[in-house]
Amino acid sequence: MNAIEVDNLRRIYRPVMGIFRRKVKEIVAVDDISFYVKPGELFGILGPNGAGKTTTVKILVTILIPTSGSARIQGFDVVREAEKVRPRIGFILGGERGLYWRLSGVDNLRYFASLYHVDPGISKSRIPYLMELVGLEDRGKEKVEGYSRGMKQRLHIARALLHDPDILFLDEPSIGLDPIGAREVREVVRNLQAEKKTILLTTHYMFEADALCQRIAVINHGKIVALDTPEALKEVVKDLHIIEVEVFGIPSEVIERLQAKGFIENLAVENVEQRQVLLIQTARGSEAVPDILAILNGLRVGKISVREPTLEDAYVRLVGNKGE
Amino acid sequence: MFHSLLLNIRLFFRGAVLSYIALFRWFTPPAYLASKVIAPLSYMLFFVVLGTFATGKESASFYIIGNSVQMAAMSGIYGVTMSIGGDRWDGTLPYLFATPANRLALFVGRAAIHVLDGILGVFLGLFWGITLLGLDVSKTDPLVLSVVILITTFSTSGFGLLLGALSLLTRNIMFVNNTVFFLLLIFSGANLNLSLLPEWMQTISWSLPLTRGIASARKIISGSAFIEIAPLMGTEFLIGVLYILLGFLLFRWFEFKAKRKGTLEVM
Ligand SMILES: Nc1ncnc2c1ncn2[C@@H]1O[C@H](COP(=O)(O)OP(=O)(O)O)[C@@H](O)[C@H]1O
Ligand SMILES: [Mg+2]
Repeated sequence: MNAIEVDNLRRIYRPVMGIFRRKVKEIVAVDDISFYVKPGELFGILGPNGAGKTTTVKILVTILIPTSGSARIQGFDVVREAEKVRPRIGFILGGERGLYWRLSGVDNLRYFASLYHVDPGISKSRIPYLMELVGLEDRGKEKVEGYSRGMKQRLHIARALLHDPDILFLDEPSIGLDPIGAREVREVVRNLQAEKKTILLTTHYMFEADALCQRIAVINHGKIVALDTPEALKEVVKDLHIIEVEVFGIPSEVIERLQAKGFIENLAVENVEQRQVLLIQTARGSEAVPDILAILNGLRVGKISVREPTLEDAYVRLVGNKGE
Repeated sequence: MFHSLLLNIRLFFRGAVLSYIALFRWFTPPAYLASKVIAPLSYMLFFVVLGTFATGKESASFYIIGNSVQMAAMSGIYGVTMSIGGDRWDGTLPYLFATPANRLALFVGRAAIHVLDGILGVFLGLFWGITLLGLDVSKTDPLVLSVVILITTFSTSGFGLLLGALSLLTRNIMFVNNTVFFLLLIFSGANLNLSLLPEWMQTISWSLPLTRGIASARKIISGSAFIEIAPLMGTEFLIGVLYILLGFLLFRWFEFKAKRKGTLEVM
Protein backbone atom coordinates (compact mmCIF):
# COMPACT_ATOMS: atom_id res chain seq x y z
CA MET A 1 0.00 0.00 0.00
CA ASN A 2 1.21 3.51 -0.76
CA ALA A 3 1.85 5.85 2.13
CA ILE A 4 0.15 8.75 0.39
CA GLU A 5 -2.24 8.65 -2.55
CA VAL A 6 -3.72 11.70 -4.20
CA ASP A 7 -6.38 11.46 -6.90
CA ASN A 8 -7.55 14.38 -8.99
CA LEU A 9 -7.33 16.77 -6.10
CA ARG A 10 -8.74 20.26 -6.60
CA ARG A 11 -9.15 23.16 -4.24
CA ILE A 12 -10.83 26.43 -5.07
CA TYR A 13 -10.75 29.35 -2.64
CA ARG A 14 -13.57 31.85 -2.70
CA PRO A 15 -12.32 34.74 -0.64
CA VAL A 16 -14.79 37.55 -0.03
CA MET A 17 -13.38 40.84 -1.26
CA GLY A 18 -14.34 44.26 0.02
CA ILE A 19 -16.53 45.19 2.94
CA PHE A 20 -19.43 46.96 1.29
CA ARG A 21 -19.69 45.58 -2.21
CA ARG A 22 -18.95 42.01 -1.39
CA LYS A 23 -17.52 40.28 -4.37
CA VAL A 24 -16.48 36.67 -4.49
CA LYS A 25 -13.39 35.82 -6.46
CA GLU A 26 -12.41 32.28 -7.38
CA ILE A 27 -8.83 31.13 -6.97
CA VAL A 28 -8.00 27.66 -8.26
CA ALA A 29 -5.13 26.88 -5.90
CA VAL A 30 -4.80 23.18 -6.68
CA ASP A 31 -5.99 22.06 -10.08
CA ASP A 32 -6.55 18.35 -10.55
CA ILE A 33 -3.34 16.85 -9.23
CA SER A 34 -2.62 13.15 -8.71
CA PHE A 35 0.44 11.42 -7.30
CA TYR A 36 1.46 8.79 -4.82
CA VAL A 37 4.29 8.42 -2.32
CA LYS A 38 5.75 5.04 -1.40
CA PRO A 39 6.52 4.08 2.20
CA GLY A 40 9.94 5.38 3.22
CA GLU A 41 10.20 7.65 0.21
CA LEU A 42 11.31 11.27 0.39
CA PHE A 43 9.05 12.97 -2.11
CA GLY A 44 9.37 16.60 -3.11
CA ILE A 45 6.80 19.09 -4.34
CA LEU A 46 8.68 21.88 -6.04
CA GLY A 47 7.07 25.04 -7.27
CA PRO A 48 7.18 28.82 -7.15
CA ASN A 49 5.26 30.89 -4.60
CA GLY A 50 1.52 30.54 -5.05
CA ALA A 51 1.83 27.26 -6.96
CA GLY A 52 -0.44 25.44 -4.50
CA LYS A 53 2.08 23.58 -2.34
CA THR A 54 0.75 24.66 1.05
CA THR A 55 -2.83 24.10 -0.05
CA THR A 56 -1.97 20.53 -1.03
CA VAL A 57 -0.25 19.89 2.30
CA LYS A 58 -3.14 21.37 4.28
CA ILE A 59 -5.58 19.04 2.58
CA LEU A 60 -3.38 16.01 3.24
CA VAL A 61 -3.00 16.85 6.93
CA THR A 62 -6.79 17.17 7.38
CA ILE A 63 -7.05 20.89 8.03
CA LEU A 64 -8.53 21.87 4.69
CA ILE A 65 -11.35 20.23 2.78
CA PRO A 66 -10.75 19.70 -0.94
CA THR A 67 -13.24 21.04 -3.44
CA SER A 68 -13.13 17.74 -5.30
CA GLY A 69 -10.95 14.68 -5.68
CA SER A 70 -9.64 12.57 -2.84
CA ALA A 71 -6.53 11.65 -0.92
CA ARG A 72 -5.61 8.76 1.33
CA ILE A 73 -2.94 8.33 3.98
CA GLN A 74 -2.06 4.66 4.55
CA GLY A 75 -5.40 3.90 2.96
CA PHE A 76 -7.47 6.26 5.12
CA ASP A 77 -9.40 9.05 3.45
CA VAL A 78 -8.24 12.47 4.67
CA VAL A 79 -11.77 13.83 4.84
CA ARG A 80 -14.01 10.93 5.87
CA GLU A 81 -11.44 9.20 8.07
CA ALA A 82 -9.54 12.22 9.37
CA GLU A 83 -9.61 10.74 12.89
CA LYS A 84 -7.60 7.76 11.66
CA VAL A 85 -5.22 9.90 9.63
CA ARG A 86 -4.23 12.36 12.36
CA PRO A 87 -2.34 10.02 14.70
CA ARG A 88 -0.40 8.65 11.72
CA ILE A 89 1.02 11.91 10.44
CA GLY A 90 3.10 14.82 11.63
CA PHE A 91 3.51 18.09 9.80
CA ILE A 92 4.94 21.56 9.78
CA LEU A 93 3.69 24.51 7.76
CA GLY A 94 6.61 26.79 6.97
CA GLY A 95 7.14 29.90 9.05
CA GLU A 96 7.54 30.68 12.69
CA ARG A 97 3.93 30.94 13.78
CA GLY A 98 2.08 28.07 15.36
CA LEU A 99 3.92 27.76 18.64
CA TYR A 100 2.94 29.09 22.04
CA TRP A 101 5.46 31.89 22.38
CA ARG A 102 5.02 32.31 26.10
CA LEU A 103 5.78 28.71 26.83
CA SER A 104 9.23 27.19 26.82
CA GLY A 105 10.20 24.87 23.98
CA VAL A 106 9.78 21.86 26.23
CA ASP A 107 6.38 23.01 27.50
CA ASN A 108 5.21 23.44 23.91
CA LEU A 109 6.15 19.83 23.31
CA ARG A 110 4.48 18.72 26.54
CA TYR A 111 1.23 20.35 25.57
CA PHE A 112 1.23 18.88 22.08
CA ALA A 113 2.19 15.49 23.49
CA SER A 114 -1.02 15.52 25.49
CA LEU A 115 -2.98 16.72 22.46
CA TYR A 116 -1.61 13.70 20.60
CA HIS A 117 -2.40 11.42 23.54
CA VAL A 118 1.21 10.36 23.92
CA ASP A 119 1.62 8.25 27.05
CA PRO A 120 3.22 10.32 29.83
CA GLY A 121 5.86 7.63 30.38
CA ILE A 122 6.83 7.79 26.71
CA SER A 123 6.82 11.55 26.34
CA LYS A 124 9.13 11.86 29.32
CA SER A 125 11.96 10.26 27.38
CA ARG A 126 10.81 11.24 23.90
CA ILE A 127 10.85 15.02 24.46
CA PRO A 128 14.54 15.19 25.46
CA TYR A 129 15.36 12.83 22.60
CA LEU A 130 13.59 15.07 20.08
CA MET A 131 15.11 18.25 21.46
CA GLU A 132 18.48 16.68 20.89
CA LEU A 133 17.52 15.46 17.42
CA VAL A 134 16.74 19.04 16.36
CA GLY A 135 19.69 20.50 18.24
CA LEU A 136 17.73 22.40 20.90
CA GLU A 137 18.74 20.37 23.94
CA ASP A 138 20.40 23.37 25.63
CA ARG A 139 17.59 25.84 24.96
CA GLY A 140 14.54 23.79 25.88
CA LYS A 141 13.72 25.67 29.07
CA GLU A 142 13.70 29.07 27.39
CA LYS A 143 10.55 30.74 26.19
CA VAL A 144 9.91 30.33 22.48
CA GLU A 145 9.55 34.11 22.02
CA GLY A 146 13.33 34.34 22.40
CA TYR A 147 14.06 31.69 19.78
CA SER A 148 15.53 32.54 16.41
CA ARG A 149 13.53 31.69 13.34
CA GLY A 150 15.60 28.61 12.68
CA MET A 151 15.14 27.39 16.26
CA LYS A 152 11.39 27.81 15.96
CA GLN A 153 11.37 25.89 12.73
CA ARG A 154 13.36 23.07 14.32
CA LEU A 155 11.06 23.06 17.34
CA HIS A 156 8.21 22.66 14.87
CA ILE A 157 9.89 19.57 13.50
CA ALA A 158 10.26 18.15 17.01
CA ARG A 159 6.58 18.87 17.61
CA ALA A 160 5.66 17.03 14.45
CA LEU A 161 7.56 13.95 15.65
CA LEU A 162 6.14 13.72 19.18
CA HIS A 163 3.79 10.85 18.47
CA ASP A 164 6.35 9.10 16.26
CA PRO A 165 4.28 9.26 13.07
CA ASP A 166 5.17 7.15 10.03
CA ILE A 167 4.54 10.01 7.64
CA LEU A 168 5.82 13.57 7.75
CA PHE A 169 4.75 16.61 5.80
CA LEU A 170 7.30 19.41 5.75
CA ASP A 171 6.01 22.52 4.02
CA GLU A 172 8.97 24.71 3.11
CA PRO A 173 10.99 23.72 6.17
CA SER A 174 13.89 26.01 5.32
CA ILE A 175 11.90 29.08 4.33
CA GLY A 176 13.27 32.33 5.70
CA LEU A 177 16.36 30.71 7.21
CA ASP A 178 19.92 31.84 6.71
CA PRO A 179 22.17 29.37 4.87
CA ILE A 180 23.41 27.79 8.09
CA GLY A 181 19.92 27.44 9.55
CA ALA A 182 18.70 25.94 6.29
CA ARG A 183 21.56 23.48 6.25
CA GLU A 184 20.79 22.39 9.81
CA VAL A 185 17.17 21.78 8.86
CA ARG A 186 18.22 19.75 5.82
CA GLU A 187 20.49 17.73 8.09
CA VAL A 188 17.51 16.93 10.33
CA VAL A 189 15.47 15.90 7.27
CA ARG A 190 18.23 13.52 6.17
CA ASN A 191 18.34 11.95 9.62
CA LEU A 192 14.60 11.41 9.49
CA GLN A 193 14.90 9.74 6.16
CA ALA A 194 17.49 7.43 7.64
CA GLU A 195 14.87 6.51 10.24
CA LYS A 196 12.65 5.23 7.41
CA LYS A 197 10.02 7.92 7.70
CA THR A 198 7.94 8.71 4.67
CA ILE A 199 8.46 12.39 3.98
CA LEU A 200 6.64 14.78 1.70
CA LEU A 201 8.62 17.97 1.47
CA THR A 202 7.71 21.15 -0.39
CA THR A 203 10.16 23.78 -1.44
CA HIS A 204 10.72 26.47 -4.00
CA TYR A 205 14.46 25.82 -4.02
CA MET A 206 15.48 23.54 -6.83
CA PHE A 207 18.78 22.59 -5.23
CA GLU A 208 17.02 21.63 -2.01
CA ALA A 209 14.67 19.28 -3.84
CA ASP A 210 17.62 17.93 -5.81
CA ALA A 211 19.72 17.36 -2.70
CA LEU A 212 17.04 15.66 -0.64
CA CYS A 213 14.30 14.09 -2.72
CA GLN A 214 14.06 10.77 -4.48
CA ARG A 215 11.24 11.94 -6.72
CA ILE A 216 10.01 15.45 -7.41
CA ALA A 217 6.67 16.74 -8.58
CA VAL A 218 7.09 20.14 -10.17
CA ILE A 219 3.95 22.15 -9.66
CA ASN A 220 2.93 25.44 -11.23
CA HIS A 221 -0.41 27.26 -11.12
CA GLY A 222 -1.90 24.33 -9.23
CA LYS A 223 -0.94 21.74 -11.83
CA ILE A 224 1.78 19.12 -11.85
CA VAL A 225 3.96 19.93 -14.87
CA ALA A 226 6.49 17.15 -14.34
CA LEU A 227 6.99 14.27 -11.94
CA ASP A 228 10.13 12.20 -11.90
CA THR A 229 13.50 11.55 -10.29
CA PRO A 230 15.91 14.50 -10.26
CA GLU A 231 18.04 12.75 -12.89
CA ALA A 232 15.11 12.18 -15.23
CA LEU A 233 13.94 15.77 -14.78
CA LYS A 234 17.34 16.92 -16.00
CA GLU A 235 16.65 15.01 -19.22
CA VAL A 236 14.25 17.70 -20.41
CA VAL A 237 17.20 20.00 -20.87
CA LYS A 238 19.80 17.40 -21.77
CA ASP A 239 20.14 18.43 -25.43
CA LEU A 240 20.26 22.11 -24.58
CA HIS A 241 22.95 24.52 -23.64
CA ILE A 242 22.54 27.52 -21.46
CA ILE A 243 23.86 30.84 -22.66
CA GLU A 244 24.09 33.46 -19.95
CA VAL A 245 24.32 37.03 -21.21
CA GLU A 246 24.79 39.99 -18.93
CA VAL A 247 23.12 43.17 -20.23
CA PHE A 248 22.40 46.61 -18.84
CA GLY A 249 18.89 48.07 -19.09
CA ILE A 250 17.32 45.80 -21.68
CA PRO A 251 13.96 47.09 -23.03
CA SER A 252 11.06 44.67 -22.98
CA GLU A 253 10.60 44.75 -26.75
CA VAL A 254 14.09 43.32 -27.16
CA ILE A 255 13.23 40.50 -24.78
CA GLU A 256 10.10 39.81 -26.82
CA ARG A 257 12.11 39.78 -30.03
CA LEU A 258 14.48 37.23 -28.50
CA GLN A 259 11.61 35.08 -27.30
CA ALA A 260 10.16 35.04 -30.81
CA LYS A 261 13.32 33.42 -32.19
CA GLY A 262 12.86 29.76 -33.07
CA PHE A 263 16.27 28.64 -31.84
CA ILE A 264 15.59 29.89 -28.31
CA GLU A 265 13.76 27.20 -26.34
CA ASN A 266 13.37 29.23 -23.21
CA LEU A 267 14.37 32.64 -21.94
CA ALA A 268 14.48 33.76 -18.33
CA VAL A 269 15.56 37.18 -17.09
CA GLU A 270 17.18 37.65 -13.70
CA ASN A 271 17.50 41.16 -12.39
CA VAL A 272 20.73 41.79 -10.50
CA GLU A 273 20.92 45.42 -9.38
CA GLN A 274 21.17 47.54 -12.58
CA ARG A 275 22.02 44.64 -14.81
CA GLN A 276 20.00 41.76 -16.15
CA VAL A 277 21.18 38.24 -16.75
CA LEU A 278 19.49 36.53 -19.67
CA LEU A 279 19.32 32.77 -19.26
CA ILE A 280 18.85 31.45 -22.75
CA GLN A 281 18.21 27.77 -23.37
CA THR A 282 19.10 26.67 -26.87
CA ALA A 283 20.03 23.49 -28.71
CA ARG A 284 22.54 25.37 -30.83
CA GLY A 285 25.00 26.09 -28.06
CA SER A 286 27.71 28.65 -28.71
CA GLU A 287 26.74 28.91 -32.37
CA ALA A 288 23.72 30.91 -31.29
CA VAL A 289 25.81 33.64 -29.67
CA PRO A 290 26.32 35.79 -32.82
CA ASP A 291 22.57 35.72 -33.58
CA ILE A 292 21.77 36.75 -30.04
CA LEU A 293 24.30 39.58 -30.10
CA ALA A 294 22.80 40.80 -33.36
CA ILE A 295 19.46 41.26 -31.65
CA LEU A 296 21.09 42.94 -28.65
CA ASN A 297 22.84 45.34 -31.02
CA GLY A 298 23.23 48.78 -29.47
CA LEU A 299 22.87 47.60 -25.86
CA ARG A 300 25.71 47.46 -23.39
CA VAL A 301 26.57 43.77 -23.05
CA GLY A 302 28.72 42.36 -20.28
CA LYS A 303 29.86 38.82 -19.62
CA ILE A 304 28.72 36.02 -21.92
CA SER A 305 29.07 32.35 -21.03
CA VAL A 306 27.89 29.03 -22.40
CA ARG A 307 27.41 26.11 -20.03
CA GLU A 308 25.85 22.69 -19.53
CA PRO A 309 22.31 22.64 -18.12
CA THR A 310 21.65 21.98 -14.41
CA LEU A 311 18.51 20.87 -12.61
CA GLU A 312 17.84 24.55 -12.00
CA ASP A 313 17.54 24.99 -15.76
CA ALA A 314 15.15 22.06 -15.96
CA TYR A 315 13.04 23.82 -13.38
CA VAL A 316 13.16 27.08 -15.31
CA ARG A 317 12.11 25.20 -18.40
CA LEU A 318 9.20 23.53 -16.58
CA VAL A 319 7.75 26.50 -14.76
CA GLY A 320 8.55 29.04 -17.47
CA ASN A 321 10.53 31.47 -15.40
CA LYS A 322 12.22 31.46 -12.02
CA GLY A 323 8.70 31.66 -10.76
CA GLU A 324 9.10 35.00 -9.07
CA MET B 1 -11.27 2.65 26.84
CA PHE B 2 -10.22 3.36 30.40
CA HIS B 3 -6.78 4.23 29.15
CA SER B 4 -8.12 6.76 26.67
CA LEU B 5 -10.25 8.27 29.41
CA LEU B 6 -7.11 8.70 31.50
CA LEU B 7 -5.33 10.37 28.58
CA ASN B 8 -8.25 12.74 28.11
CA ILE B 9 -8.21 13.63 31.77
CA ARG B 10 -4.51 14.34 31.47
CA LEU B 11 -5.13 16.51 28.42
CA PHE B 12 -7.73 18.38 30.45
CA PHE B 13 -5.33 19.21 33.28
CA ARG B 14 -2.17 19.70 31.26
CA GLY B 15 -4.13 21.91 28.87
CA ALA B 16 -5.61 23.75 31.81
CA VAL B 17 -2.25 24.75 33.25
CA LEU B 18 -0.25 25.26 30.07
CA SER B 19 -2.94 27.11 28.18
CA TYR B 20 -3.39 29.38 31.16
CA ILE B 21 0.25 30.38 31.00
CA ALA B 22 0.44 30.34 27.23
CA LEU B 23 -2.65 32.29 26.36
CA PHE B 24 -3.71 34.47 29.24
CA ARG B 25 -2.15 37.75 28.20
CA TRP B 26 -2.41 39.38 31.58
CA PHE B 27 -0.18 36.84 33.09
CA THR B 28 2.56 39.17 34.20
CA PRO B 29 2.79 39.49 37.97
CA PRO B 30 1.99 43.24 38.17
CA ALA B 31 -0.99 42.97 35.83
CA TYR B 32 -2.22 39.95 37.71
CA LEU B 33 -1.95 41.70 41.07
CA ALA B 34 -3.80 44.69 39.67
CA SER B 35 -6.64 42.46 38.50
CA LYS B 36 -6.88 40.89 41.93
CA VAL B 37 -6.42 43.96 44.13
CA ILE B 38 -6.89 47.24 42.32
CA ALA B 39 -9.78 46.25 40.07
CA PRO B 40 -12.07 44.82 42.78
CA LEU B 41 -11.20 47.58 45.23
CA SER B 42 -11.89 50.35 42.77
CA TYR B 43 -15.20 48.86 41.61
CA MET B 44 -16.22 48.29 45.18
CA LEU B 45 -15.28 51.73 46.46
CA PHE B 46 -16.87 53.44 43.48
CA PHE B 47 -20.21 51.68 43.83
CA VAL B 48 -20.24 51.62 47.63
CA VAL B 49 -19.67 55.36 47.80
CA LEU B 50 -22.11 56.09 45.02
CA GLY B 51 -24.68 53.56 46.24
CA THR B 52 -24.66 54.47 49.89
CA PHE B 53 -24.86 58.12 48.91
CA ALA B 54 -28.01 57.37 46.94
CA THR B 55 -29.65 54.77 49.14
CA GLY B 56 -28.22 55.05 52.64
CA LYS B 57 -25.39 53.60 54.69
CA GLU B 58 -27.03 50.27 55.48
CA SER B 59 -26.89 49.24 51.80
CA ALA B 60 -23.05 49.09 51.76
CA SER B 61 -23.02 45.29 52.09
CA PHE B 62 -25.26 45.09 48.99
CA TYR B 63 -22.54 46.65 46.85
CA ILE B 64 -19.63 44.97 48.55
CA ILE B 65 -21.06 41.51 47.98
CA GLY B 66 -22.31 42.34 44.49
CA ASN B 67 -18.95 43.62 43.30
CA SER B 68 -17.01 40.83 45.01
CA VAL B 69 -19.00 38.12 43.26
CA GLN B 70 -18.80 40.13 40.04
CA MET B 71 -15.05 39.44 40.19
CA ALA B 72 -15.87 35.94 38.96
CA ALA B 73 -16.49 37.63 35.61
CA MET B 74 -12.94 39.03 35.48
CA SER B 75 -11.47 35.56 35.08
CA GLY B 76 -14.60 34.00 33.69
CA ILE B 77 -15.10 36.46 30.84
CA TYR B 78 -11.74 38.03 30.04
CA GLY B 79 -9.52 35.15 31.04
CA VAL B 80 -11.47 32.32 29.48
CA THR B 81 -12.06 34.21 26.25
CA MET B 82 -8.36 34.83 25.86
CA SER B 83 -7.57 31.22 26.60
CA ILE B 84 -9.76 30.16 23.70
CA GLY B 85 -9.20 33.04 21.28
CA GLY B 86 -5.48 33.36 21.96
CA ASP B 87 -4.70 30.51 19.57
CA ARG B 88 -5.64 32.81 16.76
CA TRP B 89 -2.81 35.17 17.71
CA ASP B 90 -0.22 32.46 18.13
CA GLY B 91 -1.25 30.90 14.82
CA THR B 92 -1.64 27.54 16.52
CA LEU B 93 -5.15 26.76 15.24
CA PRO B 94 -4.03 24.73 12.20
CA TYR B 95 -1.86 22.58 14.46
CA LEU B 96 -4.47 22.30 17.17
CA PHE B 97 -7.19 21.17 14.80
CA ALA B 98 -4.92 18.60 13.20
CA THR B 99 -4.45 16.74 16.48
CA PRO B 100 -6.60 13.78 17.42
CA ALA B 101 -7.29 15.48 20.77
CA ASN B 102 -10.72 15.14 22.27
CA ARG B 103 -12.22 18.53 21.51
CA LEU B 104 -14.38 18.69 24.63
CA ALA B 105 -11.44 18.05 26.97
CA LEU B 106 -9.38 20.55 25.00
CA PHE B 107 -12.10 23.20 25.07
CA VAL B 108 -13.34 22.89 28.63
CA GLY B 109 -9.87 22.31 30.06
CA ARG B 110 -8.88 25.80 29.09
CA ALA B 111 -11.40 27.28 31.50
CA ALA B 112 -10.37 25.18 34.50
CA ILE B 113 -7.66 27.39 35.99
CA HIS B 114 -9.78 30.45 35.40
CA VAL B 115 -12.46 28.93 37.60
CA LEU B 116 -9.93 28.56 40.43
CA ASP B 117 -8.63 32.02 39.71
CA GLY B 118 -12.14 33.43 39.75
CA ILE B 119 -12.88 31.80 43.11
CA LEU B 120 -9.72 33.36 44.50
CA GLY B 121 -10.81 36.70 43.07
CA VAL B 122 -14.22 36.57 44.74
CA PHE B 123 -12.73 35.60 48.08
CA LEU B 124 -10.20 38.39 47.84
CA GLY B 125 -12.98 40.84 47.03
CA LEU B 126 -14.88 39.72 50.11
CA PHE B 127 -11.68 39.92 52.13
CA TRP B 128 -11.19 43.56 51.12
CA GLY B 129 -14.84 44.17 51.93
CA ILE B 130 -14.48 42.66 55.41
CA THR B 131 -11.17 44.25 56.33
CA LEU B 132 -11.45 47.66 54.71
CA LEU B 133 -15.18 48.33 54.44
CA GLY B 134 -16.50 46.51 57.47
CA LEU B 135 -18.62 43.84 55.80
CA ASP B 136 -20.35 41.79 58.50
CA VAL B 137 -19.98 38.04 58.02
CA SER B 138 -20.84 36.94 61.55
CA LYS B 139 -24.03 35.18 60.38
CA THR B 140 -22.46 33.54 57.33
CA ASP B 141 -22.05 29.80 56.80
CA PRO B 142 -18.61 29.73 55.12
CA LEU B 143 -19.12 26.32 53.56
CA VAL B 144 -22.37 27.29 51.84
CA LEU B 145 -20.85 30.56 50.71
CA SER B 146 -17.96 28.62 49.19
CA VAL B 147 -20.38 26.41 47.27
CA VAL B 148 -22.20 29.50 45.97
CA ILE B 149 -18.93 31.03 44.82
CA LEU B 150 -17.78 27.80 43.17
CA ILE B 151 -20.99 27.33 41.20
CA THR B 152 -21.20 30.98 40.22
CA THR B 153 -17.62 31.08 38.99
CA PHE B 154 -18.26 27.86 37.09
CA SER B 155 -21.31 29.22 35.30
CA THR B 156 -19.66 32.55 34.55
CA SER B 157 -16.67 30.73 33.07
CA GLY B 158 -19.10 28.64 31.02
CA PHE B 159 -20.43 31.88 29.61
CA GLY B 160 -16.80 32.87 28.97
CA LEU B 161 -16.33 29.68 26.94
CA LEU B 162 -19.22 30.72 24.72
CA LEU B 163 -17.65 34.16 24.25
CA GLY B 164 -14.30 32.47 23.64
CA ALA B 165 -15.75 30.39 20.82
CA LEU B 166 -17.30 33.60 19.50
CA SER B 167 -13.89 35.26 19.67
CA LEU B 168 -12.62 32.77 17.11
CA LEU B 169 -15.27 34.05 14.73
CA THR B 170 -14.90 37.79 15.24
CA ARG B 171 -11.94 40.10 15.41
CA ASN B 172 -13.63 42.55 17.77
CA ILE B 173 -13.57 40.38 20.82
CA MET B 174 -12.13 42.95 23.22
CA PHE B 175 -15.04 45.19 22.36
CA VAL B 176 -17.49 42.33 22.91
CA ASN B 177 -15.80 41.41 26.20
CA ASN B 178 -15.81 44.91 27.59
CA THR B 179 -19.44 45.36 26.62
CA VAL B 180 -20.42 42.05 28.18
CA PHE B 181 -18.49 42.79 31.37
CA PHE B 182 -20.16 46.15 31.85
CA LEU B 183 -23.58 44.87 30.87
CA LEU B 184 -23.10 42.20 33.51
CA LEU B 185 -22.32 44.94 36.04
CA ILE B 186 -25.88 46.11 35.46
CA PHE B 187 -27.80 42.97 34.58
CA SER B 188 -26.27 40.77 37.26
CA GLY B 189 -27.72 42.99 39.94
CA ALA B 190 -24.28 43.66 41.40
CA ASN B 191 -25.07 47.33 41.67
CA LEU B 192 -28.79 47.76 41.51
CA ASN B 193 -31.92 46.14 42.71
CA LEU B 194 -33.17 44.05 39.79
CA SER B 195 -36.81 44.62 40.68
CA LEU B 196 -36.31 48.24 39.61
CA LEU B 197 -35.59 47.16 36.05
CA PRO B 198 -38.29 46.86 33.39
CA GLU B 199 -39.55 43.33 32.95
CA TRP B 200 -37.74 42.61 29.67
CA MET B 201 -34.46 43.57 31.27
CA GLN B 202 -35.16 41.31 34.21
CA THR B 203 -35.69 38.48 31.73
CA ILE B 204 -32.19 39.08 30.43
CA SER B 205 -30.81 39.23 33.95
CA TRP B 206 -32.19 35.86 34.87
CA SER B 207 -30.89 34.20 31.72
CA LEU B 208 -27.34 35.29 32.50
CA PRO B 209 -24.89 33.64 34.85
CA LEU B 210 -23.89 35.54 37.99
CA THR B 211 -27.35 36.98 38.77
CA ARG B 212 -28.45 34.06 40.93
CA GLY B 213 -24.98 33.78 42.44
CA ILE B 214 -25.00 37.38 43.62
CA ALA B 215 -28.52 37.07 44.99
CA SER B 216 -27.57 33.85 46.81
CA ALA B 217 -24.36 35.29 48.25
CA ARG B 218 -26.28 38.23 49.68
CA LYS B 219 -28.77 35.88 51.33
CA ILE B 220 -26.12 33.57 52.75
CA ILE B 221 -24.03 36.41 54.13
CA SER B 222 -27.08 37.89 55.82
CA GLY B 223 -27.71 34.55 57.51
CA SER B 224 -30.05 32.51 55.28
CA ALA B 225 -29.81 28.72 55.27
CA PHE B 226 -28.66 26.64 52.31
CA ILE B 227 -32.15 25.36 51.60
CA GLU B 228 -33.33 28.87 50.71
CA ILE B 229 -30.82 29.27 47.93
CA ALA B 230 -30.65 25.67 46.72
CA PRO B 231 -33.06 26.19 43.80
CA LEU B 232 -31.19 29.32 42.70
CA MET B 233 -27.89 27.46 42.77
CA GLY B 234 -29.30 24.44 40.94
CA THR B 235 -30.44 26.73 38.13
CA GLU B 236 -27.14 28.64 38.14
CA PHE B 237 -25.31 25.36 37.63
CA LEU B 238 -27.60 24.32 34.77
CA ILE B 239 -27.15 27.72 33.12
CA GLY B 240 -23.40 27.16 33.28
CA VAL B 241 -23.72 23.73 31.65
CA LEU B 242 -25.98 25.18 28.98
CA TYR B 243 -23.50 27.93 28.09
CA ILE B 244 -20.64 25.44 27.96
CA LEU B 245 -22.62 23.27 25.55
CA LEU B 246 -23.53 26.24 23.39
CA GLY B 247 -19.90 27.34 23.41
CA PHE B 248 -18.74 23.86 22.49
CA LEU B 249 -21.19 23.64 19.59
CA LEU B 250 -19.95 26.98 18.32
CA PHE B 251 -16.33 25.80 18.72
CA ARG B 252 -17.03 22.69 16.63
CA TRP B 253 -18.91 24.76 14.09
CA PHE B 254 -15.93 27.10 13.82
CA GLU B 255 -13.61 24.15 13.17
CA PHE B 256 -16.01 22.77 10.55
CA LYS B 257 -16.42 26.09 8.74
CA ALA B 258 -12.75 27.10 8.89
CA LYS B 259 -11.66 23.82 7.32
CA ARG B 260 -14.10 24.37 4.50
CA LYS B 261 -13.34 28.00 3.87
CA GLY B 262 -9.62 27.79 4.51
CA THR B 263 -9.69 30.47 7.20
CA LEU B 264 -7.94 28.69 10.07
CA GLU B 265 -5.01 31.07 9.92
CA VAL B 266 -6.82 34.32 9.33
CA MET B 267 -5.82 36.75 12.07
N1 LIG C 1 -6.95 30.92 2.58
C1 LIG C 1 -6.85 31.35 1.31
N2 LIG C 1 -7.82 32.11 0.77
C2 LIG C 1 -7.71 32.53 -0.50
N3 LIG C 1 -6.71 32.24 -1.33
C3 LIG C 1 -5.71 31.50 -0.86
C4 LIG C 1 -5.71 31.01 0.48
N4 LIG C 1 -4.59 30.29 0.68
C5 LIG C 1 -3.91 30.32 -0.48
N5 LIG C 1 -4.58 31.05 -1.42
C6 LIG C 1 -4.16 31.26 -2.81
O1 LIG C 1 -4.04 29.99 -3.43
C7 LIG C 1 -2.90 29.94 -4.26
C8 LIG C 1 -1.97 28.84 -3.81
O2 LIG C 1 -1.45 29.17 -2.54
P1 LIG C 1 -0.50 28.22 -1.70
O3 LIG C 1 -1.09 26.86 -1.67
O4 LIG C 1 -0.23 28.88 -0.42
O5 LIG C 1 0.82 28.20 -2.62
P2 LIG C 1 2.33 27.88 -2.23
O6 LIG C 1 2.35 27.22 -0.91
O7 LIG C 1 2.81 27.01 -3.33
O8 LIG C 1 3.07 29.18 -2.22
C9 LIG C 1 -2.28 31.32 -4.21
O9 LIG C 1 -2.76 32.06 -5.29
C10 LIG C 1 -2.79 31.89 -2.92
O10 LIG C 1 -2.88 33.28 -2.99
MG1 LIG D 1 3.40 27.82 0.81
